[in-house]
Amino acid sequence: MNIQRVWQLAQFELTRLFATKRGLLALSAFAMLWLMILRYPIGHAVPFLSSPEFSGIAQELAGNIGLKALVSWPEAELAIFWLIALYSFPVFALFVCSDQTVGDRQRGTLRFLSLRCTRDEILIGRFVGQFTIIFSLIALTALATLAVMAYRKPELLLSGIALATTLVLQLSVIVMPFIALMAVLNLICSSSRLSIVLAILLFTLGNALLSFFSYYLSVLDVLFYMFPGVQLLDVAPHSNVPLILWVFPAIQTVALLSAGVFIFRRRAL
Amino acid sequence: MSTLIEVNQLSKSFGSKKALEDVSFTIESGTTTALVGPNGAGKTTLFSILCGYLRPDNGDVKILGQPLNHPSLFGKLTALPQDAMLDPRFSIQKQLCFYGVLQGFSKSDALKETSRVLELVGLSENHHSQINELSHGMRKRVCIAQALLGSPKIVLLDEATAGLDPLHAREIRSLISSLSDEISFILSSHDLAELERLCDRVLYLEQGKLTAHNRNAPSGSSKYITLQLHEQYKDALERLKQLSGVLYVTQSQNKEYIIEYQWEFEQFDIHLLKYCYKCNWQYHQLVNGHTLENQLFQKD
Repeated sequence: MNIQRVWQLAQFELTRLFATKRGLLALSAFAMLWLMILRYPIGHAVPFLSSPEFSGIAQELAGNIGLKALVSWPEAELAIFWLIALYSFPVFALFVCSDQTVGDRQRGTLRFLSLRCTRDEILIGRFVGQFTIIFSLIALTALATLAVMAYRKPELLLSGIALATTLVLQLSVIVMPFIALMAVLNLICSSSRLSIVLAILLFTLGNALLSFFSYYLSVLDVLFYMFPGVQLLDVAPHSNVPLILWVFPAIQTVALLSAGVFIFRRRAL
Repeated sequence: MSTLIEVNQLSKSFGSKKALEDVSFTIESGTTTALVGPNGAGKTTLFSILCGYLRPDNGDVKILGQPLNHPSLFGKLTALPQDAMLDPRFSIQKQLCFYGVLQGFSKSDALKETSRVLELVGLSENHHSQINELSHGMRKRVCIAQALLGSPKIVLLDEATAGLDPLHAREIRSLISSLSDEISFILSSHDLAELERLCDRVLYLEQGKLTAHNRNAPSGSSKYITLQLHEQYKDALERLKQLSGVLYVTQSQNKEYIIEYQWEFEQFDIHLLKYCYKCNWQYHQLVNGHTLENQLFQKD
């Protein structure tokens, strides 16, 4: 695999978001959505969490759902950001990364590319590109949250930067298998919409069926580890999370991409 | 001459339909090869396998001594695949430039290369256009331009001039002809007159089976001339048979005669034209040998 070609392919993916009308439109919608999140859920929740009269109730409520440590963060904005981003970015990634190769395959553009780089390079390059896009968006939203927090309490800025960096890295790792899953679904579906439908079915119907069968055959429980995001509930409290739960998404990503490489090498273009 | 493409016992099936059956051939450098056959004969399947878009069921393909999809072929084997289109979200220049960079050019060289190939296909005014702003013919020319980026050794063109207006089809033919010393083209087309002008070798596919024709190879102790007359003159066939040097005459189609004559007869063509003049026949075309159409479809 030629790393330079992989990087060229990844860079070209970035221009899809930052240099096309459709990409910029999606980016504006994303920015507006996060502006609302910063303004309302984060903006309204922080005074509630920080006020002495309500913090006790909040701690008790959060303790019941295992999020006690999170509520006690002085950087309250980042705590809310973490909870919202933890569940929204994986879903967001499923939609944003729903067309990694399928559109180009249907149009025939992959035929031009495959005469200039290997299929492995195309798959990995596109994945790296999409990951870089999601990573930048996570970083930008974290930066915006940090700015809101620094406006409220400037003395928290330094500790906030360190925490925000950690959160960005952790969220990026968490989101990786979702992007890889879409890369694989792109290879077996005939459109990006169908890839999204299949992903939704996998997380709903697939999950339900597996729960049903594993009730009778407990060994099937292991199959839950195939689902990206299986560890989300466990990492939500953020403290005392075993290291394996942070590494697990990376293992899922490697497994999914390996499956993708296997399928793509055998697929007709 | 070196071997560019070596195909041995290639087979490909789609379900129960055999698209290619035991296809074997070689293509030497410096030749322009035509791939001809009826619809569904397996031409596009063969093109797709040569380009690495499809995996063969059986058989072996070597291109420039390398197996299919080998990275050393990037930039050396290029193609105009049928029905493939560039991404409509980006300008033509951006995409061709990107392909150039993938082929190993620096950004500035890729830009120069893009300008060069767009000029070759007559689209130098359309650098910043997006593909869906162009007509069908212009889109095809853009796709031909991408196939000429860099210095390819083999270019496969699937129906390169289909859908082009006569002027641009002519320009593409003349482009292929002018580049055929440096690049070995493999052309698929239903326009036999076009292939006749451009190709020295014909691969004829029918129901997945291949027959090869070398257009310039002499056969036996006789030679052939194909004469097309303007009208169906009375007794033309009988009178042509009486011409000295003629061994055999067949009428291949209305107003067209295939004349077999003695190998040693010098200037037979001039002799024949004088005879036409004497008989007061107006001729339309004189072809040295068989027309490609007759080579492929004349049964006797």
